[in-house]
Amino acid sequence: MRRSRIYISLILIILPALAGSQETQTLTISSWGGAYEEAQLEAYILPFEQETGIKVSLVEYNGGIAPLRLVYSSGKSSMDVVDMTESDALAACEENLLAKTQVSLLLPAPDGTPVSRDFRSDAISDCGVAHLLYATVLAYDDRAFSDEKPSQVADFFDIEKFPGKRALQRHPKSILEWALLSYGVPVEQVYDLLSSERGLRLVTRRLDEIRDHIVWWESGNESVELLRSGAVVMASGFNGRFFDARINHNLPISIMPKGQLLEFGVWGVSRHSPQRELAEKFVSFATSTESMAAFSNLLPYGPTRQSAFKRIGLHSKSNVSMRLYMPTSSSGLHGSIRADSIWYSQTERVRERWFNEWLQSSR
Amino acid sequence: MADRPEYQTIILRIVVLAVLGSVIGLVVALLALVFLEAISWLNNLLLISPSERFKYVDNLKALNIATVLVPTLGGLVVGLVLRYLVDARRPLGPPDTILMVQTHTSGESVRSGLMSTLAAIISLGCGASVGQYGPLVYLGSIVGAVANKLKLNKHNLQEITVASGVAAAISVAFNAPIAGLIFAHEVILRHYSIQAFAPTAVATAIGYVIVNVVFHRPSLFLVEFDGVQHGYEFLLFAVVGVLSAFIAISYAKGILACDAFAKRTRIPIAFRPMIAGFFLGVVALWIPDVLGIGGTTLRFATIEGAFQLSELGLIIVAKFAVTVLCIGFGFAGGVFSPILLIGILFGALFGGILDNLTFIEHSGVVTYAICGMMAAASPIVGAPLAMILIVFELTHSYDLAIAAMVAVVFSNLISTRIFGRSLYDVQLSKRGFDLSHGRRNAVLAYEKITSLMHDQYLRFDVADKIETVMSKLSSGSHNQGFVTDSNGVFIGVVHFESCSNRDPSEIVKYAAQLPHFTFTEKTNLIEAVEALRIVNLDIAPIVSSTDNKLLGVVWNYDVMNAYLRAIERIESEENASV
Repeated sequence: MRRSRIYISLILIILPALAGSQETQTLTISSWGGAYEEAQLEAYILPFEQETGIKVSLVEYNGGIAPLRLVYSSGKSSMDVVDMTESDALAACEENLLAKTQVSLLLPAPDGTPVSRDFRSDAISDCGVAHLLYATVLAYDDRAFSDEKPSQVADFFDIEKFPGKRALQRHPKSILEWALLSYGVPVEQVYDLLSSERGLRLVTRRLDEIRDHIVWWESGNESVELLRSGAVVMASGFNGRFFDARINHNLPISIMPKGQLLEFGVWGVSRHSPQRELAEKFVSFATSTESMAAFSNLLPYGPTRQSAFKRIGLHSKSNVSMRLYMPTSSSGLHGSIRADSIWYSQTERVRERWFNEWLQSSR
Repeated sequence: MADRPEYQTIILRIVVLAVLGSVIGLVVALLALVFLEAISWLNNLLLISPSERFKYVDNLKALNIATVLVPTLGGLVVGLVLRYLVDARRPLGPPDTILMVQTHTSGESVRSGLMSTLAAIISLGCGASVGQYGPLVYLGSIVGAVANKLKLNKHNLQEITVASGVAAAISVAFNAPIAGLIFAHEVILRHYSIQAFAPTAVATAIGYVIVNVVFHRPSLFLVEFDGVQHGYEFLLFAVVGVLSAFIAISYAKGILACDAFAKRTRIPIAFRPMIAGFFLGVVALWIPDVLGIGGTTLRFATIEGAFQLSELGLIIVAKFAVTVLCIGFGFAGGVFSPILLIGILFGALFGGILDNLTFIEHSGVVTYAICGMMAAASPIVGAPLAMILIVFELTHSYDLAIAAMVAVVFSNLISTRIFGRSLYDVQLSKRGFDLSHGRRNAVLAYEKITSLMHDQYLRFDVADKIETVMSKLSSGSHNQGFVTDSNGVFIGVVHFESCSNRDPSEIVKYAAQLPHFTFTEKTNLIEAVEALRIVNLDIAPIVSSTDNKLLGVVWNYDVMNAYLRAIERIESEENASV
């Protein structure tokens, strides 16, 4: 985590200086910080810089489409390429904030398999290329529960059986699904039932039960930090970050087997980027088989192309088998939900309103 | 004994039956999908579906206006369609299908059937609290009836084609092919023959393939169930069954009573659904769960803790009331989906009450909800086997199917004793087709002897002289004549013998004798045969039941022949192979 800060500071200090002196091109890319950003740097950002001579400037981003809108109103771009969630990409696309995907620029697999057959069929959309599949999961501090360990989504909401604070993302997203799953709603019906007042009422009731035990987090690293420091006993977060904490930092964090919420991470190119060609060049580099595989061997986020998946082996540092930790592994898939990005984009307003009202009512 | 058909003919027949079943299955599956999609499209467009209403929670005014206006105006459109485009001026449904198949009549025209289906789409699309399966069954039977018009030179073609259509429709609607097959036999055909079974099975399988492999429709509901935990719970399932029977009986009687009430009000048919729609909309302002088929509410009912007990009670009462009103006041749609919802909510209520009785441990609300649903719905359609199979096919849980079986059996036992085999059968018996004593009796009783009536007989006026009568009786082939007064009212029968010892100048009035019985236009084949068994009459008079006028006569010979023909037809249907 520290290292990433140093990288960013270095890049941020050095790049403008370079840009000022020579005509070095600089590409601004958003990332999510922490272990994720470190892996990105190692897997394809530094190689991209070396290969092309283009400098990459990383800016922090915690989701949403507001930063892209800001670009739009100020008339110039502060981000060229955005690493965003599938639902944000869809919403941004609908608001015409992203450039159209240049499928022809994507690279075929090393064995010549064309893009159309190598990528997952749902990976390439109108204005984004999915480059990984990540899972938002529930995890717990193993030290906090010496006897029975939490294993069901319902356990997350059971304060009596598993006492302690819970960390949740301050965002009306995965908490909706989990709250409903805790009632025993079958995975296939979650979004259907969430799309009703009764569904939201059930969610509200569940959240009310743990209201005084919630600690909110906003950036992905905070949830790991909250667990590490012992501030909370359970937390939601991203599977890769928890993997990093466990494998690279030896923290006693376990991921619950049920309730994984799978979603794509998508590269989007800002429509108002003044250097769209460079941005597209980066997207094609970062979505190459080699880049994806290198990234997935550092953090267990599933690649979206088959040729990359075939290259997943042992973790570059600890030698654990990465395939076992992929959100798409057979043990992870059981009881997991595929996040419905269309539903998210259609219900954004309602969810926001409901969430803010709920937060207000807690005061 | 008929001659054994040649092998070639047999093979040809098998091929024809298989192809017929496949084509009907395919066509019905596609039409059923269009039907279901059209309804869900309208539901989304008109703010009926919970997911669309959900998006308008911050615009309550618009939502409330739509909630009242949509069913009201929808009701008007439905009323007009039924009044002007459907010959029967009422929605068509499974009873019409049963009647058509059992009596080998062509039923309502295809145009009427399609218009009735359209009315059902509008009704369901506008949120009327009616069922979708009844119209689907009828849609299946329309396809079957059209296929029947092909000149395939095949015995019993009509029942085969209609049953195939119905089976495919149920297979598609519930995603339950075996239940579709059984439903067609239990409800429509009322017998099992290989000849009908084979093509029906093909049709239902094709329907299943289309829906599962080609279009991937979501199931009606999904449940997570770990099995029945305690043996004593089977007693509780039986209790659910018994209580559900009373719900079903009240539901059926409520629908019949409301239907009768609507007719008494003398409100024109075209405007009746509109009134029901308005009331429905007003109730839905407070309890939106009553709108439409209620799929989302149904799914919530299987979830522990989704409703409070008082809330469940309220929704049950409200759904019951608006459904009875909607169906009674002529919205086009079935009776099945609403009772599924009422039943599942009742089952959830029962399970919830058990939760509160802490001394009884049980296997969770799901079991009781499913038991309640099937036990309440089964007496309405009279298909206990199909209900049990639907549970099995939807949940893939053997335990749940057994639990549902116990509840369904007890429910059917009670409702059959108190009410009748099904609402369909009771509705049909009001139309003169009474299946309560079996299919043979129903078919024979439905055939009126007026269809055998002759108008070639000797008819005398009361004022005719005996000598005229005697000369006519001796000259022709008739040995008896029928005497009427100047208004055509039947007075009696005269024979040559009864005239011969009278004064030839006397009028015939005094020679006429009342026969042992007379038939009326309402007399059916069974009654006629019963009467003719006791008293041997060659010719019997048929008189009007209202004014006693002589309508015609019927020959004993014709009656007996018709009786035997009907029995032979039923026998051949039930024993047909290919």
